[in-house]
Amino acid sequence: MSSNKIVLTSSDGESFEVEEVVARKLQIVGHMLEDDCVINEIPLQNVTGDILSMVIEYCKTHVDEEESEEAQTKLKTWDEEFMKKFDIKTLLQIILAANYLNVKGLLDLVSQTIADTIKDYTPEQIREVFGVENDYTEEEEAEVRKENAWAFDEADTPKP
Amino acid sequence: MSSPLTSPATTNGEEPLYKKQKKNPSQIPSLPDELLVSCLARVSRLHYATLSLVSKSFRSLIASPELYKTRSLFGRTESCLYVCLRFHPERNQRWFTLSLKPNNRTVANNNKSSCNLLVPIPTSHNPHMLVSILDCQTHTWHEAPSMQVKQYYPHANVVDGKIYVAGSCVKPKSSNWMEVFDPKTQTWELVLATLGKRFTHCINKSAVIEGAIYMFVDDIGVVYKPREGKWAEIRSLEDLQYLGFCYCVIGNVLYCYYWRNGIIWYDFKIRKWMNMKGLEGLPQFPNYGCVVRLVEYGGKMVILWNKYGSGCNNNKMIWCAVISLERRNSKEIWGKVEWVDAVLTVPVSCETVCALSATV
Repeated sequence: MSSNKIVLTSSDGESFEVEEVVARKLQIVGHMLEDDCVINEIPLQNVTGDILSMVIEYCKTHVDEEESEEAQTKLKTWDEEFMKKFDIKTLLQIILAANYLNVKGLLDLVSQTIADTIKDYTPEQIREVFGVENDYTEEEEAEVRKENAWAFDEADTPKP
Repeated sequence: MSSPLTSPATTNGEEPLYKKQKKNPSQIPSLPDELLVSCLARVSRLHYATLSLVSKSFRSLIASPELYKTRSLFGRTESCLYVCLRFHPERNQRWFTLSLKPNNRTVANNNKSSCNLLVPIPTSHNPHMLVSILDCQTHTWHEAPSMQVKQYYPHANVVDGKIYVAGSCVKPKSSNWMEVFDPKTQTWELVLATLGKRFTHCINKSAVIEGAIYMFVDDIGVVYKPREGKWAEIRSLEDLQYLGFCYCVIGNVLYCYYWRNGIIWYDFKIRKWMNMKGLEGLPQFPNYGCVVRLVEYGGKMVILWNKYGSGCNNNKMIWCAVISLERRNSKEIWGKVEWVDAVLTVPVSCETVCALSATV
């Protein structure tokens, strides 16, 4: 593999020079390179420099994915440590970037991390994180609680 | 082989990027539904009730077919156990599902003991003899089209996604003994049961093994193969008379609880019952009538049994164990106890009507 270099530029003008094999992990870049093989500078408009640098860090680590069990375990440990660095807000930006740049492995990883993080959140915390308004009226909310009563109430001993 | 980044932000080390992120809490971008579904599909269903309280749009995403399609695509389907109980003298049966104690949701993945319990779900209030369908995704009941012939004590078995129901009707004939329901078209059709007129009594037991429905009516055993439309009598009937209420089929193997031997399985090739090995950690059942059901549970086995209180206590506990199965060779099946827990306290008179599982 030639060590051809590609420059990726973020929406806020930060530039990253990476090897072509790394850049190709971003499928959006891969497709551009296939269309025109002389490109060596690629502007990426929907991602900021700080998020792009994390995506690149992931792609560099995953650039040659070995089949061996040992290598897989090592990568998995790295993934876990990598994800631990981010708060939920950053994770949301990474998932958007991974989706836009089309990095499937990262998309799966960050989706799982978000799932593991939000599963124990209260509805209020989730609204805050996802910027969602509580659009239930009091009656509607009570109705939803009632429908799912099985999940909220401890089962009482049924009265005969 | 890594090339250094040219970005100054990464060359000064010590994770400056992430700090910078915190200092600058820019507007949080909202996720498109597609990405939200990708995240929600990876969360256990046990948390969906809380998540539906977030907003109307969250609630509709959680109930959407896309979410369940995505769960299936990611291999994230989960098995849910349902138990139907009758509390005498109530006429209606009550339905329960296996859940986790609310305070213990955080250990959901550890499957620890003493955090499992049976919780009530809505019960169908359909009058007797009508067919009801429980939507396991939303725990709501729907009325299904009525059967063409009234069947008493019907047994239902599923082959290739269709439900074959047979039981006992007033004047059994080959043309009215069995009906099949196709959930896709929501229609019932009569099945020609060539041996039907012989069955003047109700079915005691039935099971599906390798696409064939085995049914026992008193001392007659018949097998129906829907794919071929063939009926036949069962020859090795004597062996199968061990089956009480406590049997189930998992991976085309017939398992049963027999008070003398514990859990046994039937080898159809050599027509012999074999003892299950392993089962370390499964308590001794206090008496021979206490085991109430064996249930197929997503490739695993659930055992439900009653434990009676001591003294003048009028309650009993329903206990539950989940057992994973491993076939080591043609003659050995090993069971590993994943957890054992008391899941519900009920009056002594409470009767277990049925127990089954669904994977969604």
